[in-house]
Amino acid sequence: MCKHAQHFGYDKEGVIMNYAMALDYQNCINCKACETACKEENGVQLGVHKQRIWVGIVEGTIFGKPYVNLYPSQCNHCMNAPCVSVCPTNASYYAPGGIVKVDAHKCILCKGCMEACPYDARFIDDTTVAVDKCTFCDHRIEEYGTTACQATCPTKVRLFGDLNDENSDLVKLLKKERFFFQKERSGTLPKLFYIVPKDEAYFRQSVSHDTKIYTWETFKSHFMAKSANTRSK
Amino acid sequence: MKKFEIAGLEFNRVSFANFFFNKTMLLGYFLVFLAGVGIYEMFELRYFSVAANAHAAGLDPTNPGLKDAMMLAVFGNVGEITREVPWTLFIANYMYMIYTGSGVIFLVALAELLNFKIVEKAAAGFMTVGIAMVFAGLFTIATDLNMLNMHWMFLSPNVKAGMWLMLPLYCTYIPFVLFEIYLVLTKKRALARKLALPILIMSIGVDVVEYYIQAKLFSMNTARHLWTEFPILTFYFIISAFVSSLGIMGIYSFLVHRKKPEYPELMSILRKGILFFISVLALYEIIAYMVVDKDWAFLILFGPFKYLYFLGYILLAMVLPFFLVFKSTNSHWKITLASLFTIVGGFAGRYLFVYGGNANPMSDRFGVGYEKYDVYEVASSFNYVHPHVGEILIVIGSIGIVLLIYKIFDSFFGITKLRDNHA
Repeated sequence: MCKHAQHFGYDKEGVIMNYAMALDYQNCINCKACETACKEENGVQLGVHKQRIWVGIVEGTIFGKPYVNLYPSQCNHCMNAPCVSVCPTNASYYAPGGIVKVDAHKCILCKGCMEACPYDARFIDDTTVAVDKCTFCDHRIEEYGTTACQATCPTKVRLFGDLNDENSDLVKLLKKERFFFQKERSGTLPKLFYIVPKDEAYFRQSVSHDTKIYTWETFKSHFMAKSANTRSK
Repeated sequence: MKKFEIAGLEFNRVSFANFFFNKTMLLGYFLVFLAGVGIYEMFELRYFSVAANAHAAGLDPTNPGLKDAMMLAVFGNVGEITREVPWTLFIANYMYMIYTGSGVIFLVALAELLNFKIVEKAAAGFMTVGIAMVFAGLFTIATDLNMLNMHWMFLSPNVKAGMWLMLPLYCTYIPFVLFEIYLVLTKKRALARKLALPILIMSIGVDVVEYYIQAKLFSMNTARHLWTEFPILTFYFIISAFVSSLGIMGIYSFLVHRKKPEYPELMSILRKGILFFISVLALYEIIAYMVVDKDWAFLILFGPFKYLYFLGYILLAMVLPFFLVFKSTNSHWKITLASLFTIVGGFAGRYLFVYGGNANPMSDRFGVGYEKYDVYEVASSFNYVHPHVGEILIVIGSIGIVLLIYKIFDSFFGITKLRDNHA
């Protein structure tokens, strides 16, 4: 067993778990139910800039025709998380299931993790005077098997699951669909899988021409191999 | 003046009134008082902001504080740290003070190695200014961190993190520099001569390690390409620090040594140093911005930072000082003015580096445009959050820390004296 196995949780059969989330962002209607559910479930600080998850809005035009892209987003729980490696007190750490978490009691407010995160997924919780971020609702995984944001989404944008379980709904979906990642070039090995839209127009306006598109097979051969390398180092 | 000796060091017997109430100390107290006001402001924001979480509304809905917190949550910003610019003026001043102070110490060691006698004679004063600036930098960063949790640095250290490496670095660096100052001041000449060369070489080594760790701290921030793509960041930090350090040495020499016969010789060396290091820095700047990520390079060279870059940094730190001292001149006013420009321009450079690193928003995640931070804002390629008044006061106050530390050393050891008997 790999020496980093303690970072990951185990299921009942003793298999290492690696939690991730797929986002069928084409379905997002910007109702913000996920943002609200996250705040309620996790007791997140009130305020528009204090969000563990959010819906990113990009506006633009193609030949004068306006469009709006909606990208629901949150912490990518990277397998090679720069926020963890820069944290001087191990306040940022890999929790069971490969979930990147923050121990607020250990945070010295150096803000190194906020600077290092390419996804802008961290903020200061002024009620605890510490950095805060998404936890994949790890406190409710065992009971409900999913996150508050997924449970509340009316258009089924999000799908939470275990990447290491070939029978999980997540892996079944990823085997069927093509997907891509945010800022893949940062080398952080993120775990938010953005499902390529079926609508051709939405695909063209919301995916950059140099975005690398994966299938489950190509992902496993390239990505998981990289992840194994990173962890063994 | 009466003296007494401890461990080979001669201490001046100075009266209570002269020690605590001379002009330098009084100015220092005033500046530190400003820092105190700034710390009060920052701590009030950090620890006593009206803030509430989503559970508070359900648990205690009639709490009047909750009403204020909800109003602030909707209409204002809570706390002092923004998500857009987490590192601000604190870090700029920390960098400036630490790098410039270390630069002064580094330059003195180099000058001693190259046998510049006049710098050797003035070494005690220069090094004290350097170490005082290091303390001022640490003071600034201490006000920025949540000191209540600092014990976790020892209880749960991540020794590979750049930030953690700072702690053992300063635990070694500061006593080491103080020991160097001791060797310059001590009457134990035999010991000082014996240790001079190894200490000198170690000093240069420690200085290089210091800049290397600082560069590592910045280059670990994956998302900020200005910092990760500046070529040979350690070298940049050293060269840019040397320019401001020479400025500090120039102003210090003007204030302290200008009536001494050695002053022209000292200023002549500083002039040559300013010319040389400005030229190297200018070459570096040209090459660096050809390499750096274009998003950041464009924001700084042609975007909203262009005035600060060209007028605040390039003009003040390089162009004006270069032309002022380019011709061999006996005008010490020109060298002093050039020194002043490099000090101000150097600070602008540090400010630019810190704010510039944060300028390009993280919200360009999909390569098809910038996301809006919230529905009421316009998406932009540029982030800038003006420093809080408390931060500005703390930064001004940090100059008071330099003055106080320097003056305490000077009162006891008379470090302004040019010493001929240096090891």
